This record gives sequence, structure tokens and C-alpha cells, in this order.
Amino acid sequence: MLLLTCPNCGDRNVSEFRFGGELSSRPKDPSALSDAEWANYLYMRNNVMDAQTEWWHHNVGCGLWFLAERHTRTNEVIKTYPYVKRET
Amino acid sequence: MRTEQDALTTTSNRLHPKQGEVIDRSTTIRFTFDGVEYTAHPGDTVASALTAAGVKVLSRSFKYHRPRGLLCCSGHCPNCLVQIGDEPNVRACTRPVEPGMEVRAQNVWPSLNRDLLSLTQLGSRFMPVGFYYKTFIRPQKLWPLYEHTLRHAAGLGEVDIDTPLGEFDKQYLHTDVVIVGGGPAGISAALSAAETGAQVLLFEENPALGGHLRFTVPLESSSTTKASKDLPELLEAVDRQPNITVFTDTSVLGWYQDNWLCAVKGARLFKIRTKSVVVATGAYETPLIFDNNDLPGVMLGSAVQRLVHLFGVLPGGQVVIVTANEDGWDVAADLQSLGVNVAAIVDEREPSACASPYREGLTNAGVPVFYRHTILEALGSNEVRGAKIARLDGQGEISLATAQSLQCDLIVTSMGWTPATELAYMAGGKSEYHEDRAEILPVSTPPGIYVVGRAAGTHAVNSQISEAQRAGSNAAAFVGFGEFDESTAYSSGVLEPRRTSERVCVPGKKKQFVCYCEDVTDEDVETAIAEGYDSIELLKRYSTISMGPCQGAMCSMNTIHLCARANDWTVQETGTTTARPPTTPVTLGALAGQNMEPVQTTPIHQWHLDHGADMMVAGLWLRPNHYGDPAAEATSVRERVGLIDVSPLGKLQLTGPGVPELLERIYTNQWDNLRVGRVRYGVMCNDEGVVLNDGVCAHVNDETWYMTTTSTGATTIFEWLQWWLQSGWGEGIHLTDLTDTYSAFNLAGPQSRTVLEKLTERNLANKAFPYMRLRSAKIAGVSCRLLRIGFTGELSYEVHCPSGYALHVWEALMDAGREFDIAPFGVEAQRILRLEKAHIIVGQDTDAMSDPLSANMAWAVKLDKPDFLGKPSLMRISAEGPKQLLVGFKMVEPNVVPDEGLQIVESEADGQLKIVGWITSSRFSPTLEEAIGLCWLPPDIASQNGASFTIRMDGHLAEARVHHGAFYDPDGERLRM
Ligand code: FES
Ligand code: FES
Ligand SMILES: [Zn+2]
Repeated sequence: MLLLTCPNCGDRNVSEFRFGGELSSRPKDPSALSDAEWANYLYMRNNVMDAQTEWWHHNVGCGLWFLAERHTRTNEVIKTYPYVKRET
Repeated sequence: MRTEQDALTTTSNRLHPKQGEVIDRSTTIRFTFDGVEYTAHPGDTVASALTAAGVKVLSRSFKYHRPRGLLCCSGHCPNCLVQIGDEPNVRACTRPVEPGMEVRAQNVWPSLNRDLLSLTQLGSRFMPVGFYYKTFIRPQKLWPLYEHTLRHAAGLGEVDIDTPLGEFDKQYLHTDVVIVGGGPAGISAALSAAETGAQVLLFEENPALGGHLRFTVPLESSSTTKASKDLPELLEAVDRQPNITVFTDTSVLGWYQDNWLCAVKGARLFKIRTKSVVVATGAYETPLIFDNNDLPGVMLGSAVQRLVHLFGVLPGGQVVIVTANEDGWDVAADLQSLGVNVAAIVDEREPSACASPYREGLTNAGVPVFYRHTILEALGSNEVRGAKIARLDGQGEISLATAQSLQCDLIVTSMGWTPATELAYMAGGKSEYHEDRAEILPVSTPPGIYVVGRAAGTHAVNSQISEAQRAGSNAAAFVGFGEFDESTAYSSGVLEPRRTSERVCVPGKKKQFVCYCEDVTDEDVETAIAEGYDSIELLKRYSTISMGPCQGAMCSMNTIHLCARANDWTVQETGTTTARPPTTPVTLGALAGQNMEPVQTTPIHQWHLDHGADMMVAGLWLRPNHYGDPAAEATSVRERVGLIDVSPLGKLQLTGPGVPELLERIYTNQWDNLRVGRVRYGVMCNDEGVVLNDGVCAHVNDETWYMTTTSTGATTIFEWLQWWLQSGWGEGIHLTDLTDTYSAFNLAGPQSRTVLEKLTERNLANKAFPYMRLRSAKIAGVSCRLLRIGFTGELSYEVHCPSGYALHVWEALMDAGREFDIAPFGVEAQRILRLEKAHIIVGQDTDAMSDPLSANMAWAVKLDKPDFLGKPSLMRISAEGPKQLLVGFKMVEPNVVPDEGLQIVESEADGQLKIVGWITSSRFSPTLEEAIGLCWLPPDIASQNGASFTIRMDGHLAEARVHHGAFYDPDGERLRM
């Protein structure tokens, strides 16, 4: 994967992007979390050897933070798509 | 120097002019090799000119300093590496001669022809196989001695560290189809791909297209005859085809993911994006391993054909040809037709296996042919004087009783081919060993990658062409041009007769080289395997076999055979080593490219230079560090007025109804009560509670806020805000980066109001425009935003103006200030001024572990407001209490300025010093006339104003005392004047 497809700009060199880590989201009510739960959010990652959904930022391009589904072993990017806030 | 007469006699190895040669005989140029003058014709390579002059020894080997001469003549072995001027490791067989070139032998002492290091056999004793790993590990203290000896004995060229920077550059190419290799296969693939309309780039490492057709036998009955005659037609077709761009003298170094290729042509590196690739890289002729097989005068058949047909040079007068295929017979016929005395053809096959069309002719001409024979040894000390051959018995064993010596000055081996498939394997291609061919051939490649020609095991030119045409149109079809041709891939090569011998090694008693680059012998391979390094990958790493300049082109196939035999494995079981870039050596200069360090400059840059600024790099920005005397600049600000260019500050505009809520979430203090026209200082943390950045934010009008960040954090904070906005907190907010749009200056000092008043109608009186307020104003006719804030501790105005007018505004301010003796000041003066106020700099006084509660910013943290970034962690830190605190200090000796980064120590009971803190900032304060600073200390010391502590200086200890609050104007009265 030396190319990544920005949902806005199309195929670009991966050097135009910044990796943002695997998809995780900030807990809704952090004050309700135990120390362990808070530490889990801060520091624990799944680190799978499989397809994972992760954040990428087109930082020298359009500035979009988007999601990529990438296989961590083969580095194959299965798809990229814009993040859509889920209704809760 | 040789005389003219000598130089003339040295051209005796030159043949009569013939068609296809690349030299221009009408002109003669001169160059030197090890101080001796030689002549050449334009078009000659260094090696062809030296061979024409009868020079056989070109280099000394890496470890044993054995004499080496031309082996492959194609840039794929280490034997001709020379130093040219200050450029080391140049392959003499591919580098064209230029007039006046100074060529020197490498790795010799004292000279090429009498190398004492080889006479002493130093290499042998010092460098057994695996010497990197075992010999020199113990005793450790002797390593410097070993290293010195090794550096002297082993190595290649010399790097001249005074060489001026070369001119290198990079070029990006984008295309549909890349063809690597411009032989008949590559050309045919390119033509059929281009016909479909696809854009094609064709790369060839040699100076011209044509591949082996440029130098193989153009005789009537040859298998290549037809195609050879067709070559001009093929070349013409390429010329006519506008969709093909040809790059000659260009080596493709590697394949990377998503069909990204890297190639080099001299001083230019290409980075190529393509959609499909056809690998038509041909094959390396495989050397045979026998006693003294590295003696100068032992050459590959294809090397001799290159010399003869391209340069008209005969490398010998009496030749023994050792072969196992028709290619050897081709060479024999070729040489014989040129009047060379073919002393013998030594063919390991039965007579019945030989299908050469030249057989009858050569036999009739009386050329002695030894079937079922092979070579035992190359005879001679510095160059070939003869060949010892022997018969093979029914089991294929050598019958020593039949050994006999033949006189010759050239031994040619044509034992078979190693397909050059590195690129295909880098791209994920799979291969298999074909017993009947004794070659490892590709069996599958990923979609869009094709292998054709000799690289795929196809030697017959007609098959090469048809196979390549198919691959070319498939490569184009893969990109969307034309239709796929579904015929089976990778089959035509397999159907061909065998050309490669499995007998890669004839056992003997003398040194036999498997790997020429790394000087690894067959004995070394056996030793390594006996020591347990039996798998091919371990064997490679331990012996460094195939890790030399040729990257295994000459030795990897032979190593696999030896490894298989020693382990009693099949070749397929033995496997191959992983192909990695680069396929051929590349200079670091080409990889590095131009010497470029991009920097950003502000619109005032030239003014700074014109006024004697000493510029420093801060992040990506070039900023004035000072204009000669930073202390005097600081004093100007304290006593009169100064002006600093702070354009690199990050400047972000936020608009929309959602902004106050966002500010509440990203800053640690309160924001929803900030009224229009007000400015507030804020600290941003991440969720770990670590300080990310600080700055001010102003409420400009109803729905507009204007935020500044530190200069170095501007990009990071912009990304950080984009992240939170785009991942759920962005409703009703628009964020714009105005960092470059606006420039900013800080006019600071007691006279700053008076200066600014000269340039604006706006009422600047303290009542009308108090501290921590924002106003819009026309300054010298330009609409600006003014922020009354004070990092320096004096009355000051930050003037933000459109960058296009920045120089105008700056000059107007300087003019207006002239009567007050205004001084421009730089980053250093600003650092002094802020330190006198004990203002912290994020990133200087804080690090990736610093939270605001400990970093003396608790006043800017509001733990009782609703959730904000970092709050849960800061709540926990607050409950536990800080472990370290950031505080100010003064030195007991007022003139001693401790360096930033020094340790703060405490004596322990046993007299040892324990580190309890460290200095983050320190300066001599020109205002207070004493040394001041900021440091991290344990809370029990930090919390007592005046508590003393010890700094470990260079070689001694120094005392300092905790200082609470600002060193200068602790109540901040001057800011509010
Ligand atoms: S002879 Fe020049 S590289 Fe092999
Ligand atoms: S011969 Fe070059 S690496 Fe072995
Ligand atoms: Zn984009």
C-alpha cells in the first residue's frame, strides 16, 4: 500500500497521509468510567492480524479524516470511505 | 607513462571493423589506468579499451586479494569494479571511456599486479566463513585492532570525503504499462501494449535496445538469424510508436507495493507509478565452479560475444570453450569465424545430445571436441595459461586418470542461465524448479505482472516474441485497453530443450569461488552448512554469499545447488532467498537526490536579512534569532519599544454557533462566557492530560473566533481540531487555517502605544482598548486585528495583518518607532523576556509527560466544568497529587547560567548523587542582572519559595533557590499600563 484512496481526492501517495490508529471513539460519559476502563480507552489497542478499520488523515491534501479497511498482514486496502457519525 | 609507440602496440586485440559495433574508430581518446596511458575509441567502455590493450587484471578480490578480470561484461559481477576519479566501485565494463579519465584499481596494496596482501594469504587466515560473526567477537577490547586490519584488507573503493556535493535529482513518472528490459521480448511486449493505446515506458539497462540480439551470432543457420535481421525493424517500430517512451542506460532497482517502481539512470532516480508491469529482464549466464575459476581469462560466453560484437575486441587468441549447451557452440563458431584459434570445445554432454548447427562445420575445420569432458582447473598464476580437463565416467564422476592440460589464454564457460526474475518475485511471483531445464522458472504472478523472454525461461527468439506480444496486450488489457489473450502463461519456456547444466561445481583441490563478490569458496559453503547454517537463508546471512555488489546474479543459483547437494535436498526443497531491492548497486547520491531542505519564510524575510538578522530554523520556519545583540534587544523592549515578527504563529479562524461548546471541550479552562472583543489564554490537553499546546483565542464577533497556537504546533493543532470536528464535534462549526494568510508582529514596550497611535485613528487609550482585548483597526491604511496581550511582560500589541501587506505594515511600524529608538528583536530576546516573566514554552518547559497541573498552569484548568479533553486524567492526577512541579529558580552565584537540560541532584546517605529534577530553561536576565530559569523539582522542594537545591554542572555542583512567581513585575502592572 503505497497508494491510498482519499474519498475526496482519489488515489494519492501514502506519504500525503497521516495514520490515525485503529477505529476507536471517545467514551460517551468518561466520568462514569472506572480507572481500568479509562486506561483501556487510552492505551489498549486490538492490534489484529487481519482486516482492521482505521483512521487516516489526508493532511497535505484536503484535510479529510476518513476510514480505511486495511489488512494488517498483507497491507491490502480493502476500501476507504468517509466517516459518518452514527445516530445514537 | 607509456610512449606513443607502446600505446599503438596495445591495440592489437582489436578486430577489423564489423557491423553492429558501437565504437567510432575515426577518433581516438586517451585515459589512464593506474597511471599508465591507454587509448580508446568513443563508444568503448573502460573494460573494452583495456581488453583491447591486453590488460587482463582489473581488480583484486574483496577478501583474498586475488587478481580478477572480466567475467560477465554486462555489469552483473564484481570483477571489474574500479575507482574513477573520486567515484568508487564503478563497473568498468559498462562505463564509457571519457577523454582524460583517471581510472584506478581498488583494494590493492601496494599495486594491482603485486598485491602483498594476497601473497601473505592474510585474508585466508583472518577471514574464514562467517568472519563477521565469530572471529572478532572476543576479546572485545581487541576489536579496534581487528577492525583496522579488516578495513585495510577487505573492502572496495575509497570514498573521498572532500568530494563536493554532486548534482542528483529525482523524476516522477506515471504510466499504464512498464516494460523492464529492452531485448526482443521487451520490445515486442512494448509494441503490442502500445498498439492498444496504452502509454508504455520501456526501460533498458544497456545503452541501446536489442538485448542479446545486439551481440549474438549473425550467421546463416543460427536460431537467432531471422530475429537478428528483424532487430532494425523492431527498433524502427518502437521509434514510430508515439505511446512508447524508451529509457536506456536505466536500471530498474525494485518493485514496491501498488506497482511503484524505482529506477536509476546515472544521477537521476525515477519513481514510477504504473498499472501493470512486464518483466523482460533476460537471464544471467551462470558461472561454473572449478579450481581457480576466478583466474583472469575465465569468462562467460555472453561476455566474450559482447566484447567481440559491440567493441570489436578479442579477449584472447587461443580459447577453450567449456559448455553444456548450444550456446557454447555458438560462441565457438563465432570466434572461429573471426580467426580465433579454438583450442578445444569441452562439452559435458554425450555427442548425441549436441544439436548445434555448427557441429559439423567446426569438426570439419579440425576443432578438437571433447564430449563427456569437463574442466578441472584454470592454469596460470595471474592470468589463464591453460586449462586442465578430464573425462566424465558413466556415473558422471570425473576420471582423474584422463586429466590432460591444454594450452590457451582464454577459457569460456557456457553452462546455462539464471533467469533474472528478481522484480517478478518482489512483486509476489511464484517460481518452481524445473528438473528437466535445471532452471527456476516463474509459474505464477499477481494480476497485472507478466514475465517473458529469458526471464521466463524462453530462449528461442520466435517464442520470446510471440509470448511477449501476448503479455504486452494482456498488460494493456489489464489497464483497460483492448482484450485479454487467454492463452496459457509461462509454458513456452518450459517446452524448450535444456540449456542449463546441473553440474555447477567440479570438485577439486584449489580455491573455487562460488561467490566472487564476497570471496566465498565451495569449501566455505560446506563449512557453513556443517556448522549448522543449512537453510538457504541462514547460509546466505552467515557466509554473506549473494550479498555482494551483484546481488547474487553470479552466485545464487549455484549456491542453491550446493546447498541442496550438501543437505541431500531437492532444489525445490532448498528454495530461494527472498529477492529485495536494489537489483543492482545504486549510489547513495542518487537515492538522496537533491540537497534540499524546504523552509518557510515570512513576508519580512528579506528585510530581516537586510538588517543583519542571524536566522534560525524553528520547525519549518526561518526566523531571526537576533540582530546582533539579543540582550540589548531585550532591554529596548523593557525600556522603550521593540518589534518582533511572529508570523509563524498558528492562526485559526472558527465560525459558527457551535464554537463555544467546542472551545469548552478542547481547552482546559472556561470559554462560554468570553464576550465579543475579549481575548483569553488557554491550554489544550490530550485525553492523557498531557499539555499539547497553548495560545490565545479571541471572540471577534457573534459567530467568529480567532485562535493562535504555538508556531511549531500549528500543523498538529490544525489536524487535531480537524479530527474532533470531523469525528463528531463539528456540528455548526467551520474551521479555517489562516496561518499563512495573516502575518503577525508584536509591538512591545512602554512606548508601543505611542508608536501605534501614529498609524491609526483607533482610540488606543487604556480604557478604550484594555489588556486582553481584541480590536480591528486600520494600521498604516491596512485592516488589521490587534490583540493586546503580553508574552514579553510589557504593554504590547500583536498586530495581525494580511500577508500581502505585511512588509508595508512592518516598515510603517519601524518608521513610526524611529523617534523612540525602536529595535527589531528576535527569538532569543523574546525567550529572555518571557523567562523574566516565568512564562512557559510548551515543548521547551513541558514534554510528552507534562500535565498542566504540575506545569504551573493549574490556574488555567477548570476541573469543575463539564467534560473536556484530558479531564478524566487530570481529575485522577489532581487526586493523587503531582510527582514533579515546574517552578522558577535563581542561582546563588548570580553569574552562573546552568545549561538547559542539566540534572538537579540530591546527596544520598552513601554519598551517591540522586537525580531529582532537571533544568528546562535558563538565561542571564539583563533586566535583573542575574541568572534565572525554570526547572522540574519534587513537590516538597518546589512548593517552598526560597528552598535551595543543587545542580550538577560540568564537573562541579552549583546551588540554586526556588523562586515563585514572575521574576520581573510579578503583579503584571506593566501589562496593564
Ligand atoms: S565484468 Fe564488469 S560487471 Fe562483470
Ligand atoms: S557473486 Fe556477487 S553476490 Fe555472489
Ligand atoms: Zn483528500
